[in-house]
Amino acid sequence: MNFPYVEYTWLGYGTVIAIIAIIHVIISHGVAIGTSVLTVSLEYRAFKTENEKLDELAKTMAKWVLIITTTVGAMTGVGIWFSTTVIQPDSIGALLRIFFWAWVTEWIVFITEVVILIIYYYTWDSWKSPEKKKKHINLGISLSVASWLTMAIITGVLAAKLTPGKWIDTFSFWNAFLNPTYLPSLGFRMFLAMMLAIVVVAFLLRLFVKDLSLREEAFKVFGVWGAISLPMTFILGLWYLWSIPEQAYDMIVWSTGMTENTFKIINGLAFLILIVFLVWLIRSPKTVPIILSLAVFGASIGFIGEFEVVRESIRKPFIIYDYMYANGLLYQNQEKINEEGYLAHSTWIMEKEITEENKVEVGREVFAGQCLSCHTIDGWREKRALGKRLVGWDEEALKTYIPTMHNVRVAMPPFMGTEEELDALVAYLKKEIDEVNGVKEVSQSE
Amino acid sequence: MNNLPISPDNVLPIPAPIGLLEFLIILTFIMHILFVNLTISLSAGAVGLEITGRIKNNSLLDKMAQSCSFHASVHKSIAVVLGVAPLLIISVIYTQYFYSSTILIGKMWLNVIVLLIIAFLLLYVYKFMWGKWQEKKVLHISVGFVAMLILLFIPLIFIVNITSMIYPERWIDVRGFFASLFYYPEIWQRYLHFILASLASGGFYMFLYYSYKSWKGNNLKDYEQTLKLFGAKVAFWVTVLQLVAGFILLFSFKTDVRILFLGEDLLLTTLLVLSIVLTIVLCIFLFLAGYKDSFKSFTVSLAIFVLIVGIMGWMRHEVRESYLSPYLEKYPRTEQLSIQSDDIG
Repeated sequence: MNFPYVEYTWLGYGTVIAIIAIIHVIISHGVAIGTSVLTVSLEYRAFKTENEKLDELAKTMAKWVLIITTTVGAMTGVGIWFSTTVIQPDSIGALLRIFFWAWVTEWIVFITEVVILIIYYYTWDSWKSPEKKKKHINLGISLSVASWLTMAIITGVLAAKLTPGKWIDTFSFWNAFLNPTYLPSLGFRMFLAMMLAIVVVAFLLRLFVKDLSLREEAFKVFGVWGAISLPMTFILGLWYLWSIPEQAYDMIVWSTGMTENTFKIINGLAFLILIVFLVWLIRSPKTVPIILSLAVFGASIGFIGEFEVVRESIRKPFIIYDYMYANGLLYQNQEKINEEGYLAHSTWIMEKEITEENKVEVGREVFAGQCLSCHTIDGWREKRALGKRLVGWDEEALKTYIPTMHNVRVAMPPFMGTEEELDALVAYLKKEIDEVNGVKEVSQSE
Repeated sequence: MNNLPISPDNVLPIPAPIGLLEFLIILTFIMHILFVNLTISLSAGAVGLEITGRIKNNSLLDKMAQSCSFHASVHKSIAVVLGVAPLLIISVIYTQYFYSSTILIGKMWLNVIVLLIIAFLLLYVYKFMWGKWQEKKVLHISVGFVAMLILLFIPLIFIVNITSMIYPERWIDVRGFFASLFYYPEIWQRYLHFILASLASGGFYMFLYYSYKSWKGNNLKDYEQTLKLFGAKVAFWVTVLQLVAGFILLFSFKTDVRILFLGEDLLLTTLLVLSIVLTIVLCIFLFLAGYKDSFKSFTVSLAIFVLIVGIMGWMRHEVRESYLSPYLEKYPRTEQLSIQSDDIG
C-alpha cells in the first residue's frame, strides 16, 4: 500500500465513485453537450422563423445550462478526480502521468467552454440586431464544439483504461490515446448525449411549457436531432461492443447484476420506448403524452447509469487493462510480491513482522490494500460485503480458496503476498465475519 | 528520516521537465487563486453591504451589494476551471506527498464537492432572486450568508492539505481534517494571510473594474462611483494589515525555512523585500485614488498588483520546495521510463 486509506464502510468505494460519476455523465453529456446543441438549434430556428417566443425559450435553456454546468457539472467533474485520488490513488496517479498533456489540453478547452458559455448567456439580450444575432448563434455553435472537444479528449483516457492497446508495450501517449475503442466510444457517447438531452429537455418542456405551438416548434427540432441520433447511437454502440476484449464482453450482463433474460427484456423495452417516443415526437409533436416522456426520461437515466456501471465493471480484474489490477497492484509485480511479501512493499503498513499479537491488525491492512477497492465488510451491496458473503467459511476454507480465487472468479485480481500474510488476512476476515454474524452462530457452508 | 511513510514515486515517468512544470504550477496557481480570492471576497462583500444597507435602509448599499454578487457568481465559474491545471501539476510532481496528505483528510476532501455545489447554487439563487426577493430580505440575506460561510470554510481544507503535505514526518500521528486543523503549524497564519489577500483583491478589483468602465467613457452611476472608492479603501486598509499578517506567517515557518527569507538565501530575501516595497507603493497609490482619478495611476497600480501577486506565487512555491528538499533527495521522483522497475505501482 503506497498511501493511507479511508473507509466507506457502508457505501463502499465503488458506490462513492459511481454516485459522482453518474451525475457527472448525465450533466456533461446531457446538459453541457446535448442541451447546448439543442439550445443553439432552437435559437437558429427562432431567428429564421422570427419567433420571439422560441428565442425566449432558448434563452431560458441557456440559463439552465449555465447554472447546472458551472455548479453540479463542474464540481462533479473535479469530483471524479478528487474521489479517485482518495480511493484509487495508484490508478489515477498512473493515468495523470500517461495523459498529462491530454489533460492540459482539455483544461484549455474547458476554460474556453466556460468563458464562451458565460458570454453566450449574458449577451443574449444585448446582441439583438440581425448582424449581432448571427454572431451570437455562431458563439452558440462554438460553445457546442468546445463542449464536444472536452468529451473527445477525456474519452481517450476512459477508453484506454479498458483497451490500452499497444501502450502496454510502447508506453507511448498516442498509442494510449488513440486506442482500439477510442473512436467507437466517442461516437457512441456523442449521439448518446444528444438522445439524453432530447428526452430530458422534452420532458421538462412537456411539464413547464403550456403554449402548445411553442412546444410543437421545439419538438420539431428535437425530432430532427433524434432521427439522426438514435440510429447512430445504436450502430456505434454495436461497433463499440465489438471492439472491447472478449473477456470484458462476457462480463456485461454479469456486471449489471441481472439475469440474462431480465437484462435483455429491460434493455429491449427501454429501446422500444425510445423509438415510440421519437416517432411520436416527429409525427405529432403536440400530443406527446406526459407519461411517455416520463417513461423515456427514466429509461435514459437508467441506461446511462447502467452504461457507467458496466463500463467500470467489465474492466475487472483490472483498472488499467493488462497493466494495473483494480486494487492498484501492478500485473508485472505479482511474482516479486509473492516472494518478498506485501508488507515489504507497503509504505503505509508500519508492521513489517507478523506476530500472533499483531496478526489481525496486519490482516486488516492487507485487506485495506488488496480488497477494499471493491469489497466492504458490512456494506449495502451484499455481494461485495464479505461479512455476509462469507458466512460459514472457516479459516481453512478461506486459506485454500483465496490464493486460487482468481481462477474461478474472473473479476478477482490474484492475492499477492506470502503465506504468513495470507494467514493474517484470513485471521482478520474470520474475526470480522464472526463479528458481523454473531460469534455463536453455527457455521453453514454456502 | 528513516522509516517515513513516503512512498516510492509512481513508476511511470513525470511527463515533462520538472522545471517547466514548476513554472506552470506557479503561473496557473496564481491565475486560479486570484479568481478564488475574488469569489470569496465579493460574496462576503455582497452579504456585508446588503446587511448594512438593510440596517441603514440605504438602497445605494443594496445596489453596491448586487454588483458584487453578480461579479462573484461569474468569477466562481472561472475559479473552478482554472483550478484544474495546478491540481493536475501538483498531483504529478508531488505525487508522494500530495496524495498522502489528501487521503489523510480524504472524507473532508470529498465534502469539498458537496459543499461547493451547495455554495455555488446558493450564489445563483442569491444573484437571480435579488429583484424578486426585495420583500423577503431576510431570506435573501440568509441565502447569501450561508454561501459566504461555506466559501470561507473551504480554504481551510485546502490549507490543511498543502500544509500537511510538507510535513511527512508528522503524518503518522494525526488523521482526519479537524484533528489536522489544530495539529499542523502555520495553518491559521496561512488562513489569515489568504483571507486578507482575498479582501484586498476584491476591493482592488472593484476599484479597477469601475475605473476601467469610466475610462471607457461610461458615466458612473452613484452606486458605481461609491463602490469604486469603497473598493480602493478596503484594498488600502486590508493591505496595511497584510503587512503584519505576512510577518506573522513568516515567523510561523520552521527556522531553517524562515532564515532563507531573512538573508540566508539571496533570491528569496530579494523576493521578500521586493514584495514588501511594492506593497507599500501600491498602498500609496490606493490611498491617493481616493483623492484624484487618473488613468495613469490606474495602469501603474494594476502593474504593481500583477507584480506583487507574481512574486507571492513564486515565494509560495519556494516555501514548499524548501520544506520538501531533504525528502526530494532521499525519495527521488521518477523522471525517466524504466520498464523493469523495482517499485510497486
